[in-house]
Amino acid sequence: MDSEIHKAARYDRQVRLWQRGGQARLEHSHVCVINGNTTSAEILKNLVLPGIGEFTIVDLKTVSDADLSGNFFLTETDVGSSIAEAICANLCELNADVRGNAVREDLLKLLNDSGFWRRFDVVVVTERIRKEQLERLEGILWPHNIPLMRVWTCGFSGAVRISRFETAVVDTHDPSPTFDLRLDCPWPELAAYADSFDLDELDDAEHAHVPYIVIYLKALEHWRKTNGSLLALPLSYPEKTDFRRNYVESMARNMGLETNFIEASQSIHRALQKTNVPASVAELFQRPETSDSSLRETKAPFWLLIRALKEFVSSSGGFLPLPGVLPDMVSTTSSYVLLQQIYRKKALEDKLTFLSIMLELHESLGFESDFDAETIANVCKNSALIHLSNGSQLNNHNNLLSRLSKSLEQSSDHNLLLVSYFGIVALDSLAEQESHDFSHFVQTFCDITRVPLQNLTEPIKNVLNELYIHNTSRYLNVCSYMGGIVGQEILKIVTAQYIPLDNLYVFDGIKSMSEKWKAL
Amino acid sequence: MQSLVNSSITPLLNTPGPFNEFPGEFSPLEAVKALKETRVLMIGAGGLGCEILKNLVFTGFRKIDIIDMDTIDVSNLNRQFLFRESDIGKSKAEAAAAFLRRRIKDESLEITSHFCAIQEKDQSFYRQFSVVICGLDNVEARRWINALLVGMVDSALNNLIPMVDGGTEGFRGQSRVIIPTVTSCFECSLDMLSPKLTYPVCTIANTPRLPEHCIEWASQLEWPRRFGDRKFDADIPEDVDLMHSIALARAKEFGIANVTRSLTLGVVKNIIPAIASTNAIIAASCCNEVFKLVTSCNPVLDNYMMYSGDESIFTYTYAHAKKANCPVCGTEVRAISALRWWTLRNLIDVLKTKQEFLLKLPSVAKADIPLYIALPEHLRLLTENNLNMKLIDLVSPGEEVVVTDANLPISMRLLVSKYDGPDVEPQDISSLLKS
Repeated sequence: MDSEIHKAARYDRQVRLWQRGGQARLEHSHVCVINGNTTSAEILKNLVLPGIGEFTIVDLKTVSDADLSGNFFLTETDVGSSIAEAICANLCELNADVRGNAVREDLLKLLNDSGFWRRFDVVVVTERIRKEQLERLEGILWPHNIPLMRVWTCGFSGAVRISRFETAVVDTHDPSPTFDLRLDCPWPELAAYADSFDLDELDDAEHAHVPYIVIYLKALEHWRKTNGSLLALPLSYPEKTDFRRNYVESMARNMGLETNFIEASQSIHRALQKTNVPASVAELFQRPETSDSSLRETKAPFWLLIRALKEFVSSSGGFLPLPGVLPDMVSTTSSYVLLQQIYRKKALEDKLTFLSIMLELHESLGFESDFDAETIANVCKNSALIHLSNGSQLNNHNNLLSRLSKSLEQSSDHNLLLVSYFGIVALDSLAEQESHDFSHFVQTFCDITRVPLQNLTEPIKNVLNELYIHNTSRYLNVCSYMGGIVGQEILKIVTAQYIPLDNLYVFDGIKSMSEKWKAL
Repeated sequence: MQSLVNSSITPLLNTPGPFNEFPGEFSPLEAVKALKETRVLMIGAGGLGCEILKNLVFTGFRKIDIIDMDTIDVSNLNRQFLFRESDIGKSKAEAAAAFLRRRIKDESLEITSHFCAIQEKDQSFYRQFSVVICGLDNVEARRWINALLVGMVDSALNNLIPMVDGGTEGFRGQSRVIIPTVTSCFECSLDMLSPKLTYPVCTIANTPRLPEHCIEWASQLEWPRRFGDRKFDADIPEDVDLMHSIALARAKEFGIANVTRSLTLGVVKNIIPAIASTNAIIAASCCNEVFKLVTSCNPVLDNYMMYSGDESIFTYTYAHAKKANCPVCGTEVRAISALRWWTLRNLIDVLKTKQEFLLKLPSVAKADIPLYIALPEHLRLLTENNLNMKLIDLVSPGEEVVVTDANLPISMRLLVSKYDGPDVEPQDISSLLKS
């Protein structure tokens, strides 16, 4: 079989999620995992199978008998050899397209070479490394916006924390988008299309196939005349109900049979809304990163797009580029195809306008125009859903501490999952201390959380006790669960699609519950 | 060797934790023994199944049966890591079992594979197992095993076989624990499934607008018209090419864009996106429940965990409630209101298409009088004339019928509570449209 066809068949089930663009980015990504163990093997399995470009395992250790237990990706014959090389070889067997590297060097030495780390798209730490080494690593990655993930598995619990300066996603795959149809502000071609229908002249069959966009535009015109406002929209609940009953449904000849009117009546919330720039996007326009001086300095592609979008909005009278996606609606083929052409033509015009703004912007800043057509199309299609979040560094969690101290008495599942997180962090810290007994562990937890010992409730003590007595990082079900979670977050990050975790996730395998927070 | 395989789990079983429900009765030795001796049945050796088998074996389980009727396809290799290119065409159950036997050289490990449909095995087969773990990609098989396990419960004997069920779709999934007759069962939650996307036949035939409409026209109407009895086979590339070209011609005629080969395949095979990471998450969750259940080391999920990863990470854990009128585990009658113009055929269509029923081959009887029997053929021929009779003439308002299905071990009491609407069926407007 031809290799390209073969590849398409092999990756078919995932490319339906992130399309070829996402797959291409995945195939050009390089992920580094520090420490070879069950969790790191499970994470990498979930990346090697879908075809990540390259991965690197950093570990000095050799495989011991104990390492085999619970790890599918180490075999008896590997005992005594490099753990990084052994896991790497066993993983590469899963997919010949993936390149795996094993680095048997001292972490401390590698941390002296920041160039070594900058080649990666994500770096994951799967086992405790010394606190100062972790901070040093974070210091190298943070300025380059390379995500650092710290993953813990502890008995029946697991957690992951992501440290990244900024996460920007254009292709967010919003699962329930409302439709951007511009019904409140139709451009001339769309208005003319609606005017071309004279409903009274149509026979019953034609009347039952008028696209609901036309029904809305006519009903809205009528509603606006009656309500004396030429720009208003029915927005409140009573207004929408009135609009539906007395303007849309009243136009039908038979509300029980005309499926286009039934559809119109049911689609008001999704289809009819005020066209504006969402607050989340308008906020981006105000950011200092969009200024000439900042762009000259950073040349950040994301902020160049935002700046161009800002100029687009101001030149278009307050509108984002039209995505041009028309939902299916009851209609004859010819009416629908014509309507689709009108939306697509407008979307194409908007895209060309945006492109010329991008070109002018690059010229005025003295930059090469090195963006591609896919990027432009992507922004124009998703501009209302663009996502940006600013992360925090691993040792920032004051907001969670104050939340915990305020709600010590409430032993809700939510709070106890937060206790699990600080318990896991306390176990990390305990490992660097001399005494490892339970009372010392509890004291460490109290020191980290600044909760006085006498304030610990029974449910909190139970959570700590559970973590302490079942403290193993090798329980495969939890390693594999967290491997799935981390693998998935890496897929989202490297394909630059879907919205990744920001920034803390905790799983409790006893209650089979999980929770996420943003630690600051 | 065995102790090494188990050493990763011994810290979990050495001491009962604070959440152990029966710390006084818990014994580490008994827990390890239970892992070694409990017979587990895995249904499905696909994306979830590969993960499940790995997790069970590497957390101490030693007696595992795998049942799967599927063979390995190239599109499985992006997630089903127990299979290689050289395995394409082989039985999934057999290849997965063979891989683990090669991988673990432990004489106490007994993995038995069954290359067949689950419906081919009878109650005596299923009775051998203490727990069933399902990693399936279809609703029919889940309903069948669920109904069978609930039906096998004999309240006099303590013989419940718990069923742990996982399912994934793209970045989403769920895991759940079903204790037959105790918790809600799979049938109780049938209405939570997202309905399969279908298009009205009149749209496909008269007013296509989307590329999907053209593909459905090609597969539902044009293929049977052109090729008669020659069934379309989505696994034959030439058939897919042909279907694609028929759909493409239709699209061209109507000015519809974007009929691609990939979309054609997706529509005709009803392809559900699948990735390794979601399977790993759901399979691990299911195996964790089986581990807790068999070792009694901690409480088991009660009873449903929903998972979604497309926007950050979200899970929701709750006790899904039993339905009193569940046709599998409930005791109450289910009521339906009919329309006056319905024939028995309309009722059968409702039983086939409505989300709360979704039956494939329903039969309907009143007291002991068969109204329509789908199988066997001679009974169908005897009863099929009833299909055109008015329902109201066969079943009075307030009367009960019993619905069974040739594909499912269930029997449902259905009350036709009342009749509404006109006596004559209203006319369909689309059929009047001038072409």
